[in-house]
Amino acid sequence: MMGYHPLVKRLLDGELSLAELPPELRAEGEEALRLLGAVDRAPVALSPLLDERVMAAVRSHAASPAHRAWRWLNTPREVELRLRLRPWTVWAGALAAAAGLALLLGRPAPAPERGLATQVRVGLRDSVFVRFVLYAPGARRVAVAGTFNQWDRSAAPLVPAGTSGVWTTTLALPVGQHQYAFVVDGARWVVDPAAPAVDDGFGRRNSIVAVTAQGAHTL
Amino acid sequence: MGLEGEATDAEVVRAVLAGDVERYAVLVRRYRERYARYASRMLGSRDVAEDAVQDALVRAFDRLADCREPDKFAGWLFLILRNRCYAEQRRRQREGRPLDEADEMFAAPDRPDGAYEQVERTHALERALQHLTAEQREVFVLKHTEGLAYEEIAGVTGATVASLKMRMHRAYDRLRELMKEHLE
Repeated sequence: MMGYHPLVKRLLDGELSLAELPPELRAEGEEALRLLGAVDRAPVALSPLLDERVMAAVRSHAASPAHRAWRWLNTPREVELRLRLRPWTVWAGALAAAAGLALLLGRPAPAPERGLATQVRVGLRDSVFVRFVLYAPGARRVAVAGTFNQWDRSAAPLVPAGTSGVWTTTLALPVGQHQYAFVVDGARWVVDPAAPAVDDGFGRRNSIVAVTAQGAHTL
Repeated sequence: MGLEGEATDAEVVRAVLAGDVERYAVLVRRYRERYARYASRMLGSRDVAEDAVQDALVRAFDRLADCREPDKFAGWLFLILRNRCYAEQRRRQREGRPLDEADEMFAAPDRPDGAYEQVERTHALERALQHLTAEQREVFVLKHTEGLAYEEIAGVTGATVASLKMRMHRAYDRLRELMKEHLE
């Protein structure tokens, strides 16, 4: 038996009706529809015990030290900051920020949505300030989402640096390894081009940063 | 937070991530049956499918912190289950287990008209599906069992509509060959 005629395949795809087939293909079309008539669309009933088995495994995994450690690393914490500002430190800070921005803007024309590796600023006992930078000219809004904020697309917006196309924000991240990605205009996920990325197992890429008490590092 | 039926996937996911592990049962109840049919048709066995659904639900819990878009938990869980089904098929191939002997085929349900011929044809199709490639079987199951359009299948599998149609059309030809005696 040969394969189906292309028009019969279109019938099977639902693009043509039997009446639209040429008369010489009607018999083949009827045979093809018998094939689809054999498809079993009945629901498949699983064991009523499946729920309990899943929940037993879930409770067991949740109680494991590894899972608790992972949750601890991913739980946002309040960080108390005590800053003692003196006039010269304010001026020095402003100069450093201006120099940093000048360095950013002085780079050769980058490709659209060019990111910078996360930058470390200040270390505290269990949290470290990490600066996220993305060059995204034309973007209306940019945010960073990751394991540190449960991938919430609105929790950590970046702020545009004037009209340069550079977006930045600084977050206090707990010590540990974090996966993240930028969200451009609320919908488009963009990995940080300046940081290493890993496959998330589902066909997408996540950027990675490791935060230690000494600072943040891209792996 | 409202009743269980009113809680969105995103609300439940966030509650679980915040430490309310028991809320995960809401997602288990919500999705266990929804994906059972896909897994059954992909794996050719209800028991193996049940294991796959169970593993996928547990794995999803373990990786819940990686779920970027909690409001799209259903699609994310589907990808985990899909990977699990493909892994099971690869394992079978490595072990050289003949598909027809690998597992019991689930019985076609009793039909009101009791047409023996129809039941036999349904059995034959389920057996024939196991002789397609995994990609061909998947597109056939998603389109004709789950009722998705090619565009929707492209959305969940990442393949283009053109390549999906090519797979499907090859599947039609192969099924015609395998089902010859049941279709004439």
